[in-house]
Amino acid sequence: MQDQPPTNTHTRFIESALNGKILTNKCKNCGKIMLETVYYCPACSKTDFELLEFNGIGNVVTHTIQAVAPEGFEDVDSYAWVVFQVDDAPIRASGFLPGVRLPSELPIGSKVKVTGYDKKHGLSLQKVPEH
Amino acid sequence: MTNSVCVLGAGSTKYGKLNEDIIEIALNAAKGAIDSAGITPKQIQSGYISNVFGVADKQVHMAPVLMSNLGIPEVPGLTIESACGSGSVMFREAYANVKAGFYDCILALGVEKVTHTGTAQSTTLFSYCSDFFYEGGNGASFPGLFASIARAYMTKYKATEEDLAHVAVKNHENGILNPKAHIRKRITVDDVLNSPVVASPLKVFDCCPFSDGASAVILCSEEFAKKSGKPYVKVIGSGRGASPAAVQGREDIATIPSTVAAAKQAYDMAGVKPKDIDFAEVHDCFTIAEIIDVEDLGFFKKGTGAQGAREGETRRDGRIPINPSGGLKSKGHPIGATGIGQVVEVFEQFTGGAGDRTVKDAQIALTHNFGATGASAAVHIFQKV
Repeated sequence: MQDQPPTNTHTRFIESALNGKILTNKCKNCGKIMLETVYYCPACSKTDFELLEFNGIGNVVTHTIQAVAPEGFEDVDSYAWVVFQVDDAPIRASGFLPGVRLPSELPIGSKVKVTGYDKKHGLSLQKVPEH
Repeated sequence: MTNSVCVLGAGSTKYGKLNEDIIEIALNAAKGAIDSAGITPKQIQSGYISNVFGVADKQVHMAPVLMSNLGIPEVPGLTIESACGSGSVMFREAYANVKAGFYDCILALGVEKVTHTGTAQSTTLFSYCSDFFYEGGNGASFPGLFASIARAYMTKYKATEEDLAHVAVKNHENGILNPKAHIRKRITVDDVLNSPVVASPLKVFDCCPFSDGASAVILCSEEFAKKSGKPYVKVIGSGRGASPAAVQGREDIATIPSTVAAAKQAYDMAGVKPKDIDFAEVHDCFTIAEIIDVEDLGFFKKGTGAQGAREGETRRDGRIPINPSGGLKSKGHPIGATGIGQVVEVFEQFTGGAGDRTVKDAQIALTHNFGATGASAAVHIFQKV
């Protein structure tokens, strides 16, 4: 992917998520990879980054199922908020996974994927069926 | 930096659902601290205020309003916000200014009023303390964030929901003895386990309440304290720490790096170790938080914090009493006031004001308070004089 001039970083992250991807910055100085919303490399403080997209697929690290939903999420029948380790990347991301009612439906380590970015509910996830 | 810094006087409102407006709540705590210290408002050289949701009570820029109503409009003040850790972070800044010699006497006051907004709006307001783009904006409430931390901890260390419940039972036992506590009710492990789920695996009785309230202390140089002739407590250690703002950014979700860093600084400054602490007031916004706190503060090895509550080691008469005030869980959590409320508890414990909840023979105490899921934290260590 080509370098792009800085714009609204969240917009770029969201556009990537809409395509099922997680957008990161790779530091050209030290190689550290971080989510694209970070402005300075946490390792070397440089700002010269290469944009790097990863498939928005990964394994569940932890989650909760929100029995009491915050405002804006009352319209969702039941959902999990999930932290997942992105495949092939040294980063984690988090998102909203509708349709989960019980912890047993989403064991730690389950595979999830990014399905888009909902204006109301943020980064949307779906469980990937086991084969 | 040569000044020894002391707490001279402390005051607190009851925590809970209060009818007064936010300024009146704050003034009641301020008056308690001023009267307890035996000083007049004219001796206060600066006002340090901690508050998070003043906008919900139509009042920000509180310091000038409070100073004016204390009859000292000429005294400068400021307001500090660091989510649920606002009180301790503000205390640290007030401490640093006395330590550096800028002031001899500061009013350090935390206040919050949220219950009038209702549970749904309060939950939303609190979610603004998260890294909202990644957390609140994706549907995580604060109970949800700590529930995700609980699941990570329970997975890593094979802890159980019953282990968490013991923390709530113990803190409610202590809170019964605190006349200013929000929830003074004895509960059992079964009560906790059978209470409605808020965000799995956390249930209603794993969560602290939304509270209104204010707490205040007078922070001063030791020379100032000695001249007053009133009892005082010495601050012997102070530390600050930070963690990645979002839970997803932490390599180990079962620990809170800000606590570890702040504790190390405070222990080093005080020249003491965890074994020297006689009791601690720690940030138990949710039961899992206390379990992680007592490990990160060095009282228990990682993965063994749950046994502290289960085996009675953290009870008032145990090896390391934790939250004799009842903690956030029972005493309540008016978030701007909580960190100062912990200092008020230490002051009362060390000056004969803690009544039946007094920790016997205590000489050194620790307070620990963090913001959000531990993105910011402060630890302080106190010595009885």
